[in-house]
Formats: sequence, structure tokens, C-alpha cells
Amino acid sequence: MGGSRTILRFLKYLLMTLYALLSVYPLVWLLFYSFKRNDEIFFTNPFGLPAHLLYQNYVRAWHAFNMPSYFTNSIVVTTATVAFTVLIALLFSYATARMKWKLATAARLYVGVGLFIPVQVILIPLVLLIKGFHLTNTYPSLVLPYVAFQLGFSTMAFYSFLRTVPFEFEEAASLDGASLATTLFRVIIPMVKGAIASVSIFVALAAWNEFPVALILINKESRKTLPLGLINFMGQFKTDWGAVGASLVIASLPTVILFLVFSRHIERALTIGAALKG
Amino acid sequence: MTRAARNRIAIVLLTSPALLIFTVVVAYPILQTFLKGFYRWDGLSTPIWIGVRNYVNLFVHNEDFSLAVENGILFVLVLVVYQIGLGTILALTMLDGKLKARNIYKAAYFIPVVLSISVVCQLWVSIYSYDHGLINSALKALGSSFRQGWLADRNTAIFAVAFTNAWQYMGIQFIFLYAGAQAIPEHLFEAARMDGTPQWKAHVLITIPLMAETYKFCFILAVTGGLQAFANMFIMTNGGPGTYTYTLTFVMYKLAFFSDQLGYASSAAAVLIVECLLATILLNRFIAREQYTY
Repeated sequence: MGGSRTILRFLKYLLMTLYALLSVYPLVWLLFYSFKRNDEIFFTNPFGLPAHLLYQNYVRAWHAFNMPSYFTNSIVVTTATVAFTVLIALLFSYATARMKWKLATAARLYVGVGLFIPVQVILIPLVLLIKGFHLTNTYPSLVLPYVAFQLGFSTMAFYSFLRTVPFEFEEAASLDGASLATTLFRVIIPMVKGAIASVSIFVALAAWNEFPVALILINKESRKTLPLGLINFMGQFKTDWGAVGASLVIASLPTVILFLVFSRHIERALTIGAALKG
Repeated sequence: MTRAARNRIAIVLLTSPALLIFTVVVAYPILQTFLKGFYRWDGLSTPIWIGVRNYVNLFVHNEDFSLAVENGILFVLVLVVYQIGLGTILALTMLDGKLKARNIYKAAYFIPVVLSISVVCQLWVSIYSYDHGLINSALKALGSSFRQGWLADRNTAIFAVAFTNAWQYMGIQFIFLYAGAQAIPEHLFEAARMDGTPQWKAHVLITIPLMAETYKFCFILAVTGGLQAFANMFIMTNGGPGTYTYTLTFVMYKLAFFSDQLGYASSAAAVLIVECLLATILLNRFIAREQYTY
């Protein structure tokens, strides 16, 4: 019995490790070849650690590929998206979760539908809308749709958290003569800090990596975000594997670091999402 | 309930930003998509009402469209088999509370999720590369003379593209499946184990059926995700070879932004919404119809 249990456990570790390798090795391979020269990638050493750390690939990637500009654009768009989404969703969810009015549920479900809509289906009207507002090739042309689409998830997540805060807090605050604004910002919001963190990280990941909307709405080189910029020089510098690899690594660093630091928040944000969609 | 909780002005102020932005940027454009599907329209001149002719053209005359629908289904199948099939096996394996380093494994499975789809697609383009790609190099290193242009061959291209997506987002499905499996009370499972039922059989008989709610969600995610696929083929194959990796969104994209047939393109987008909606309704109906309470 003990023997077969040990074997079973070994098989479990084996399976889990094999998939971990399938999941991570391609990324390690990328990291390795971002430090290699072509002949090393192609012939002498395709799989292993680089013989020398060819950091020049990174210098080349950073300067030749407009990386600073793509990076700046992505940071601006992501920061604005997170800030507006969190603020707007919090205010909205406070009204739907903790105030009494007839259409609260209807309003909540209406905005929540955003969770089920594929962004592609509104691309055509969106282009015309952005043109109509004279916002083509500006940051707001991306921030607006990003916020609108993230509202579904974030309002539902905030709603479920706000419902768990006991109503006595508002009653006590109201007895002390606190205004609604004070109650909201001083009493309630500090109590859902964890939820704000989870939602922020989730929204940040989505905005940082978004592709189709950026593809359709941005065609000016100086306004391109990272995911869009990256595919540009893919064709242009096809033969320079090392530098292209380096650019991919640079583009991935912020979200990978964010993930390694906040992985618990991400997992929590996801499982809230699951409970809601199901 | 305090008096402040019924303050109407406050309710309007709090909710109007969200309602306004959602209505203008999401709800109104969805209506527009459905409506414009009934027009011939180049985006500049006045749209001309043509009834269901766009839809007739799509379903009867457009070969890209039928290929795109077929590819959507293949894409879904790859996601379901890979993410839900393999994901279930991994989640149930990791359920054993005595295993160590589970957080490290979870992180390893999740890391591709946080990468940009552009990064992942480019990485896999180099992995699939005919001359120097990881797969063909590995085959050579193993002494095999077999090599394959994974993205250039019309039989393998759609699968190669779908695999990339399945691989990248496996971590999300895994988290859901694992959380769902963990939520099943252990005593139900232990009771079966007492009778001497092997672990895998107990899982098949007890754990998996009890996870119906989780599966419903995971299937909805995989099916709608597969039907919506676009960025993967846009970056990896540009729809090719030929049109062999076209999807509905690709059809819409080409019609709208390369041949200025915005009405026709809208009808393709409307088909996509209806597909996703139908899939969601059907899955809701057929999975997890009974509620379990423990």
C-alpha cells in the first residue's frame, strides 16, 4: 500500500512538472535566445543557456524599435484606464449595492452585460464614433472603450464585495452626521481596499495587453501601444532574432513582475469573475 | 437603511458616469451593428436598406464565411480538449493536499496568461518556424528528418494557431477548475474512497459531476473565446495560407477596413454575436441544470 502510494505521488509530480515545462520552457527559450546571436540560435546552441550574455540585443531593441514611445503610450493608457475604471465602477457599485432605488438591479445587469460582449462586434461603430468625436489617434480613443468594456467585470466585482460590508457602518456614520461623500470615501472604500487592488491589477493586465481595438483605432506610429508596436518590427527585423526576442522580453517584464508580486490578487479577481459569469 | 441611502440626486451623480460611457461606447454600437447589417453602406454615403441580402450573401455566396465558421468550430474544439480536458486532469492531480510547491506549479501554469498576445504569437511564430523553429530543431536534435511548416501548411495552420491560444490561456481555465474542485467537500469524496474505489474513479463519479457549475462557466469561456478568435491569426498567419485561418472577425475586418463594405461587415459581426449568445444559452441549459447544495 505504502509503495503504490509513493508511486502514485511520483506520477502526480511527474505530470505536474511536465506541464509546467510545456508552459514555461517556451518563455525560457525566448529569454535565452534574446541574449544570443543568430548562428548560436540556429545552429550551435538552439536550446540551452546563452554562451555569452549578448546584452547588445537589448540596446538595439530599445533604440531601433521605438520602444520608449510604445512603452510610454502603454503606461499612459493603462494608468488612465485603471484610474477611470476603478473610480467610475466604485461610485456606480456603491449606488447599486448599498442605496435603495427601484432600478438598481436593472442598472447593474445592464452594465454587467459588457462582460459577455466580444469587443470585435462593435469595432465598426466604434471607429465612426471616435471619428465623430475627433479623437482619432489620441489616448482617449483607447481609454474610452477600455473603460467601457472593463466596467462589466469591475462593477460586478465591486458589487459583490460591497454587499459583504455590514450596513451598520453607514447607519453609524449617518448618526455621526457624516455626509454621503464622507461615508463613501472615509468609511466604505477603505474597507474594500483588497477588492480595489484585485480589480486594478486585472484591469491593468487587460489594458496593457489589449490588441484588436488598438489595431483598428491607432495608425499613427507615435501613438502606438506596445502590443501594436511589437508586431510592426516583427516583419521589419525578421532576420534579427536576438533583438526581436529582446524586444519581446522587454515588453513582457512589467506584467510578469506585476504577476509575480500580486499573483494572489489576480487569482482572487479571477475567481470572483467566475462566480459572476456562471 | 439611512435617509442618505435614498438620496436621488446622489444616485444620479454616482451612476451616470458608468451608465453614460457604457451606453455610448458599448450598447449603442451593438444596436448599430445589428441595424447596419441590413444596409449596403460604404461608411461615407447614405446607407441603403437591402433587407437580409447581406445575410444571404454571407450564407450562400461567401466562401470565406463558411471557412470562417468552420475554423471557429475547430478553434473551439482545440480549446475545449486542451484547456478543459488537460486542465481537469491537472486540477484533479493537484487536489492532493500533501503535494508540495503547489503555488509554484500554479504560477508556472499562469505566467503565459499575463503576456501580451502579440508577444505570445511572435514567440510561437518562431517556435513553429520551418528553418530554425524550436519544434523542427528539436525534431532534428532527436534524429528525425521530419520537418513541417506548421503555419504554412493548410492542414496544420488552424490547429497551430488555436494551440497557441489554448496554451496561453490554459492558466485561467486551470485556476477555475482547481478552485471548483477544491470547493467540493472532501467528505463526499472520502466516502467513496472508503469503499475502496480508486482515486481516479471517485473523481469521475463524484468530483467532476459536482463541478457542473464550474464546467458550465469554463465551457462558456472556451466556446465564446474560440468563436471570437482574431488576434492570433491576424499576427501569426494574417488569415493564411490563403484564407485557411479566417475567422468571423477576420471576415468582418477585411470587409470593413479593406473593401469598405461596412454594412456587409456588420452582418458578419451580428452573426458572431448571435453565435456567442446561442452557445451561452445552450450551455446554460444543458450543463448544471440541478443545483447541488452541500
